[in-house]
Amino acid sequence: MAVAVRLEHVSKHFGRRVTAVDDVSVEIGDREFFTFVGPSGCGKTTTLRMIAGLEAPTSGRVYFGERDVTALPPQKRDIAMVFQDIALFPYMTVAQNIAYPLRIAGLPRPTIAEKVERVAGILGLTDKLDVKPAQLSGGQQQRVAIGRAIAKEPKVLLMDEPLSALDARLRAEMRTEILRLHRELRTTIVYVTHDQVEAMTMSTRVAVMDRGRALQIDPPRAIFHAPSSLTVATFIGTPAMNVLPGTIVKTPEGLAVELLGHRTLVHPRHHGALQGLARVDVGIRPQALRLGPARGEGLRGVVFLREPLGLEDEVLVELEGGGRLKAVTPSALELPEGAHVGLEFAARDLYVFHPDSRQALCHGVDGAGR
Amino acid sequence: MKDGAARWAPMAALLVILVVVAFPFYWMVLSAFTPRAVLFRPPYQLVRLDLSLENFRDLLFATEFLVYAKNSVLAAVGAIVLNVVAATLAGYGLTRFAFRGKRTFAFGTLFSYMFPPMLMAIPLYILFSALKMRNTYLGLILAHMAISLPLNIWIMWQYFQIVPLSLEEAAWVSGASRLRALREVCLPSARAGILSVAIFAFALSWNDFTFAFILQTDRHMFTLPVGLATFVEQTAIHWGMVMASAVLVSVPTFALVFFLQKYLLSGLGMSAK
Repeated sequence: MAVAVRLEHVSKHFGRRVTAVDDVSVEIGDREFFTFVGPSGCGKTTTLRMIAGLEAPTSGRVYFGERDVTALPPQKRDIAMVFQDIALFPYMTVAQNIAYPLRIAGLPRPTIAEKVERVAGILGLTDKLDVKPAQLSGGQQQRVAIGRAIAKEPKVLLMDEPLSALDARLRAEMRTEILRLHRELRTTIVYVTHDQVEAMTMSTRVAVMDRGRALQIDPPRAIFHAPSSLTVATFIGTPAMNVLPGTIVKTPEGLAVELLGHRTLVHPRHHGALQGLARVDVGIRPQALRLGPARGEGLRGVVFLREPLGLEDEVLVELEGGGRLKAVTPSALELPEGAHVGLEFAARDLYVFHPDSRQALCHGVDGAGR
Repeated sequence: MKDGAARWAPMAALLVILVVVAFPFYWMVLSAFTPRAVLFRPPYQLVRLDLSLENFRDLLFATEFLVYAKNSVLAAVGAIVLNVVAATLAGYGLTRFAFRGKRTFAFGTLFSYMFPPMLMAIPLYILFSALKMRNTYLGLILAHMAISLPLNIWIMWQYFQIVPLSLEEAAWVSGASRLRALREVCLPSARAGILSVAIFAFALSWNDFTFAFILQTDRHMFTLPVGLATFVEQTAIHWGMVMASAVLVSVPTFALVFFLQKYLLSGLGMSAK
């Protein structure tokens, strides 16, 4: 895999107190769709701006391919960028906006006209070329902003939360659109979002960021199924993963995870990771919980709150031993609030995390490798 | 629906104020067109038809009005150009760059605006005498800028603050240099600010009496306000000519306000926030 962008131990401090980005190293491959995702203030946008050249790293280097571009201003990097607030030039028409980078590049007029035509065609803006941005809808404006970025045919296309200004339906539509563009243009896209759905559905690889650090860099599936830490596990996935305090106990059959008195046997292949630990944090995804009639075995609780979502319900269960768990159940179950239920789960759905370092110890305590 | 009285009362009040404000202008125009021979002969009529251009003829051909007008125009144009350039660059710098003492500088400009012109006129007289800049256009323009530039910098600073930084950044990643982005992206968005600056620079220069009176001692360098004052002689006041020149002096101001009121109002609205 040829490398398009490489960050080498990049940090960014604002003043003496604020560390926006803390020692991030990442290699972004050619034609990858790479996404930085994280809560607001996690440093994802600052990282993108350092790739763009709009911020200078406090330490570390930025490479495009083999070339060190750390000291280059944005004008001299082969990039284009789509901004969170769209940032179209209000006094120019759609055509002039799209043509702007081409005009600066000094292309001859007929070539510019041709390229603007083509980009407008790709984005469905052909009949809007003579209009000012203010007369367009939010979705159309975002298309123009993307058009201005791709008209330049940059080596790296940077997108800073490009869909956050749009409503939910348009967002879903534009997601498909951007994916289609990525396939057609075969360009490298570096994308920033706080929306995990965007990150998970569009990216070839995702970097989950928190407090300036890149916690995990992996393809979406791996981020979801094998989160490296409790922070990643609870950030990715809707509703968020349940976390309960658990203990590792020795039984005649081997080690087991005990949750509120309920034991789940741990496959011997994980013994090494859990050896010597007593208290642990145990995560279970809401989708992995099955609710049924309360029986002697397993966890039991009372339905505290039910939020119908159509096909499925989100159910909050107050556990008998204390604590609450969220479960996703088929709506057909129609559990009334106040109902006594039993909760079942499989060994492969238990994620065990170190209580202090929050690092993942095993993803599922069964024998399957993940 | 409001009833009739509630609707018309504000209108009536406005009408009264309008009469009070506009009557002197009307009287000025009427007097300017009234022949000298009948100007002070009763009865004084509110409306009269025996109008003539006599006062204007005397003004244009028997006095140095045209010389004063030329001086005024040159000073005003110079003040406008230099104010726009300096205020734009300074306002941009204040908005986009972080430097030591920035706030102090910004408030200092506003503070310096509060000095009365007279306070600066005497030191400027001494300074310009030493620099041999009295009775020059540049000297007068710089003196006018001393009054108008501080507020103009402040105005441009406010205007640039509402131009989103991302617009400029979008221009930069498109390949535009900083200066090109300023010209093609920032300035069009701050157009109303530039017009406000130009109008303010013009108004201050065009109406200035203090600096022109003190710095321009050579009769050929008089501006209109100073020149007009010479029509008031010790033994006689040429009222007809004074009124005629007052009419001519007001024409550019009226024209400016009439054509640019849209921008003026938007500027006032912004500074009120």
